[in-house]
Amino acid sequence: MVWFLPVVVLLLAVSLYPTVFVIWMSFQKTRFYDLTGFVGLANYVEVLSSRTFWDTTYTSLAYMAGSLALSLALGVFAALILNNLGRTGKLLRVLTLLPWTLSMAVVGTIWLSLFNPSYGPIGHYMKQIGIAPGLMLGDPGLALWLTVLVTSWWSFPYVMVIVTAAIQSIPRELYEAVQVDGGGWFPKLRYVTWPHLIPTLGSTALTLGILYLTLVTLLIVLTGGGPLGATTTWSFETFRGTVQAQNIGPTAVYSIVVLVANIVLGVVYIRATGRVSA
Amino acid sequence: MYAIPPKLTNRTIVVGLSALVVLCAVGPMMWAISTSLKNEVDAVAAIPALIPPSITFANFLTVFTHKTFLVELFNSVLYAAGAVAVALAVGIPAGYAASRFNFPAKRPLMLLILATSMVPGVALLVPTFYLLDQLGLLNNRFVVVVILAARIAPQTVWFIQNFVDAVPRDIDEAALLDGASHRQILLLLVLPLIRPGIAAVAVIGAITTWNDYITVAVFAPDSVKRTLQVALVNQVFDSVGISWSFTMAFALVSSLPVIVLFVLVQKWFIAGLTAGAVKG
Repeated sequence: MVWFLPVVVLLLAVSLYPTVFVIWMSFQKTRFYDLTGFVGLANYVEVLSSRTFWDTTYTSLAYMAGSLALSLALGVFAALILNNLGRTGKLLRVLTLLPWTLSMAVVGTIWLSLFNPSYGPIGHYMKQIGIAPGLMLGDPGLALWLTVLVTSWWSFPYVMVIVTAAIQSIPRELYEAVQVDGGGWFPKLRYVTWPHLIPTLGSTALTLGILYLTLVTLLIVLTGGGPLGATTTWSFETFRGTVQAQNIGPTAVYSIVVLVANIVLGVVYIRATGRVSA
Repeated sequence: MYAIPPKLTNRTIVVGLSALVVLCAVGPMMWAISTSLKNEVDAVAAIPALIPPSITFANFLTVFTHKTFLVELFNSVLYAAGAVAVALAVGIPAGYAASRFNFPAKRPLMLLILATSMVPGVALLVPTFYLLDQLGLLNNRFVVVVILAARIAPQTVWFIQNFVDAVPRDIDEAALLDGASHRQILLLLVLPLIRPGIAAVAVIGAITTWNDYITVAVFAPDSVKRTLQVALVNQVFDSVGISWSFTMAFALVSSLPVIVLFVLVQKWFIAGLTAGAVKG
């Protein structure tokens, strides 16, 4: 009991107490940073009936789904390709994993420069092949998808590492069985590798889904939630509300939306995998 | 010669696609390095060059001699080292107890740790800011260390528990017979044995906390309390005066410790990522 005391005190103070407090806060009338009395569900009604909430819901889900689709596809592709190379592949995987170790602030800075419409290389090469680059991250119709691209660049190496470990844990006998039946690389991939990857991909998708839903720094650097709110997710709205501090009651409601979404995904993860850590 | 697992036999395709994968990952970082070595004029040239027309290290010199650089570096090191130290100090006894003891409260305690690990930091921004403001604890270095430590504490407990699980129980049973206390067993027997594991958790925790932006930016925005990450983002926001070559040099310098740590311990880092992530 005593052995657990320090960690329990730390988590109670830093995580659990603020969690309880934000729930209480969401039932309070607020002006700037002042709590001015109980209002029941008024903040919830205000948030859920606002257009902004449904816009941020769409953005959160589109951002999560888009980033998942791209990073899982790229990660599986990278794992399958580099798995052909033996020791060299191992070295190249370490190199490919580098983006994942970078902070979101650094990732955002690098891509902001790459996407710069005036002197960034991406806009330049688009002009070369005859496409007008436009405003790139400043284009409300494009910003979310470019953000998805950057997020996937940063996180596909994580998928690659997990998938590689899964591929390497598949028993050789299964491949030998396909071989005996005269199957080449595609039947092996289709009937042995793929079925073994499905559960791993599911748990990886949940881990990353949680990460994407709660991510803010990359959005702060790349777009600041804009243009015109096109990249404002639930989490970004929570951050914006905290620092702008005009009325924190609704911000508390957004916090609870993020919290609930996170817990739902977390519980699905534990039910599906029987594991606690990511 | 053919291999059993699904391997592409066409060497050219394999090499070509591998190069593409690595280039996708490393290309943007090469652009960052290239920009950091350019002078101000080349960095905004109409035709962007991947290889700088003339190489200069002036941007790095400017980073190191920048008037707030040392303070930001100090804060980054302090927060990361402090958070890892606190997380280990609370995580090691809990991890040991989780592995070795059985008592009724253990399950609820482990569930509590699990539950807090599911609370995302972003959901706690507004209540924590409010509480710290009320207590007059904004812009407090110690508070930042404690908050960052709490973020990495759950994973620290689980990792330590797994490492202690791997130490044979016979060792501590023999020591118990010789009259040693659990405290002595942990400090003198178990800790030395799990040292590589502790180093791995420490490095993973240090990378996580070093890379944090939001905690410091929201709870300690004061210019003498901020970290390299916060300073970097502030430069990007300064859209009038941004110098891309300087900012890239700054971004690279702020990433260097993480990249060095990663290269030193990449084996453990990868083991940490895949620990339990693959369903057998």
